[in-house]
Amino acid sequence: MFPKRFAKLSFLSPGAWVILLVAVLSSLLVALAPVKPREGMPLWVFDQNHARTYTPIVQDWNQTHPDRPVDLKLIQFYALERRMLSGFMSGTPVADLIEAERMVAARSFAGPLDRVGFVDLTDRLKAEGLMEQINAPSFTLWTSRGRIFGLPHDVHPVLLAYRADLVEAAGIDMNQVETWDDFFRLLRPLMQDFDGDGRTDRYLLGGWSTNGPFAEMLLLQAGGRLFDEQEQPCLTLERNVEVLATLTTWFAGPKRMCTEAPEFSASGHRMRLEGVVVASLIPDWMTGQWKRELPGLSGKLKLLPVPAWEKGGRRTTVWGGTMLGVTRAAPDFEAAWAFAKRLYLAPELADALFEGVGILTPVKTHWSRPVFHRPDPFFSGQPLGTLLIEQAPHVPARPASPYGGLALDKLVAALVALHGYADRERRYTVEELKPEALRLLKIGQVELERQISRNRFLHR
Amino acid sequence: MRTSRHALPRVSIRAFPAWAPWFFIAPFLAVFCVFTLWPLGRSLVLSFQQTYGPGTTEFVGFDNFEFMLRDPLFWKAARNTALFTCGSIFLQLPLALGLALLLNRSGIRGRAFFRLVFFSPSLVGLVFVGMLFALVFEKRTGLVNYTLHALIASFDPEFAWLQNYVLISLILAALWLYIGLNMVYFLAALQSVSRDLVEAASIDGANAWQRFRHIVLPEILPVAGLVVLMSIIGSFQLFELPWVLLNNTAGPDNRGLTLVMYLYQTGFLTGDLGYASAVGWVIALALAGIALLHRRTMRRRE
Repeated sequence: MFPKRFAKLSFLSPGAWVILLVAVLSSLLVALAPVKPREGMPLWVFDQNHARTYTPIVQDWNQTHPDRPVDLKLIQFYALERRMLSGFMSGTPVADLIEAERMVAARSFAGPLDRVGFVDLTDRLKAEGLMEQINAPSFTLWTSRGRIFGLPHDVHPVLLAYRADLVEAAGIDMNQVETWDDFFRLLRPLMQDFDGDGRTDRYLLGGWSTNGPFAEMLLLQAGGRLFDEQEQPCLTLERNVEVLATLTTWFAGPKRMCTEAPEFSASGHRMRLEGVVVASLIPDWMTGQWKRELPGLSGKLKLLPVPAWEKGGRRTTVWGGTMLGVTRAAPDFEAAWAFAKRLYLAPELADALFEGVGILTPVKTHWSRPVFHRPDPFFSGQPLGTLLIEQAPHVPARPASPYGGLALDKLVAALVALHGYADRERRYTVEELKPEALRLLKIGQVELERQISRNRFLHR
Repeated sequence: MRTSRHALPRVSIRAFPAWAPWFFIAPFLAVFCVFTLWPLGRSLVLSFQQTYGPGTTEFVGFDNFEFMLRDPLFWKAARNTALFTCGSIFLQLPLALGLALLLNRSGIRGRAFFRLVFFSPSLVGLVFVGMLFALVFEKRTGLVNYTLHALIASFDPEFAWLQNYVLISLILAALWLYIGLNMVYFLAALQSVSRDLVEAASIDGANAWQRFRHIVLPEILPVAGLVVLMSIIGSFQLFELPWVLLNNTAGPDNRGLTLVMYLYQTGFLTGDLGYASAVGWVIALALAGIALLHRRTMRRRE
């Protein structure tokens, strides 16, 4: 009960008054709390291994630049994407420097060119000679409408890793493998039914029709493309049709040579360990992952340039990509740009990235460093870096498009449908499958064009 | 104000100023307006626009809705969602009711234990269930293929459930998750059925089916109606389960694409926020229509 002199307040109980008071005070406290000023230049990264590798360089930078220290923040992949896009689209706070994966970065290219949240680095890169210093294909992912918005972090060339113990025990000479036809023909004796149930227990290559990166890697290697130089979708290219039909002959039918061995799951790892799959496509970054997660394969594997589609053809392909961009929100572009170069061009980073996670730097001048040419015991003493460097200049170019993910979805949808068609109709030759492949790709092309045509800002 | 020792003080409504109720609900209202009403209004506006952020926006009238009508992917998502909803209603609910009837019988030993066992899956999250069933349906090493191959030698251990039977796999995963929860609703309803009526019907010679059809079912119908409505709403909101089960995709050839997944893809992966808002409003209106229909049906029955 209220004392008499507070009777006018009795329309609320004392408890309600206390709650109200606490609410008002806490609101005031929040409203009046001083906003923590930005400390230096925020740098957002999404990968734990990257963050760990960058820490010594950031510390070194902060010691030498106490007026412009870098504040390195590790942010979960999707959270970084959302925060980055929100910042670019509506002006919420973003970091001065953002390290973005290729699909994430491409989404920032969906609006008009002058609304891309990253600073256009094209002129800087040319003026400072970085275009010559860095592996050329690495720029394509960060190029939208002819302008470059990021400093490349990597090359990500792909090699073929195979079970040398199994291959050599069968007396197969891998030096004779130049094309995919050679690979499947020479290794065919390894496909066996061990338990006598009439089913093959070992396959030659890990890959399946549902595996988007697998399809994209092989399409790019063969000279196929999802987008042309004008960044327009081109799914129905004759080369794409051929690749789709050929891949289907690898997956479908009683003589199929591939099996699904997921790259990021325990079951896929088990299949590699048990020798259910003999060979896999492996980009540089995955070599580090295998060393961590598949120590049982150490000394049993060897690497080979990816078999070509035709004699004299490309012996590598590409999977993944990351860049570092300076955002338009950065108050001091020069400082951010200086740090970006200090970080990505540092020879010690090139060494650390390769030794730590197997990633090859795109900075060509570092490729002669000894770390890249040492024998690697995991790969039976082969020099992993040397093999990657030999293929790096031949990595296929990939035009950046905010619709890259959608285009890949369409490609995979066509491949899955073609796989089903082959099994249903029992058609297992490339020539038999090509008309259906073209029909399915046309459907994907139409859908993709419809989706892209909705964007009124892209080509403004 | 005088009060007797036994009676609570009588407070007249006139003692409060007219604005007092608003004062009490003000905190909720403020939060509701800022975080629900305002975004709802904005999304309605957005559904008539194309945008790349506030500075780059164009009014497009009904373009987004027209595109939706001609968009095969939207209809594929709608079809998948409808099939999943049918699976929930016509498979999950009858099984949940069957379990509830079974566990409502007094003669069963360990009844409480079985109730807990059936209910326990609903204590875990959708993401967990998605990951679990991704392992269960894996080729070669997954529980389903491994067991079937061990039992039937001719069964192909490489059979791809998540490629060939995406929706069936989804319905089975949801069945495992929700059957126990729906069973609890039905159990609660069954326990309110008059035992006297059931016994009287037995004495009058009604068999089990007649007792269920004419006594139990009418009694539990309001709860069953509520469970059906909740299942429909839940099915229309399906996102996490297929997203995780199909490894952050809609599955091969979008066979696991649901309406909310499509909304997410268009809004957050393709960046078409206006179109995603239009999809969101169509889902909301469809659900509102179903809820109204349900309400009208239940009222008519009452």
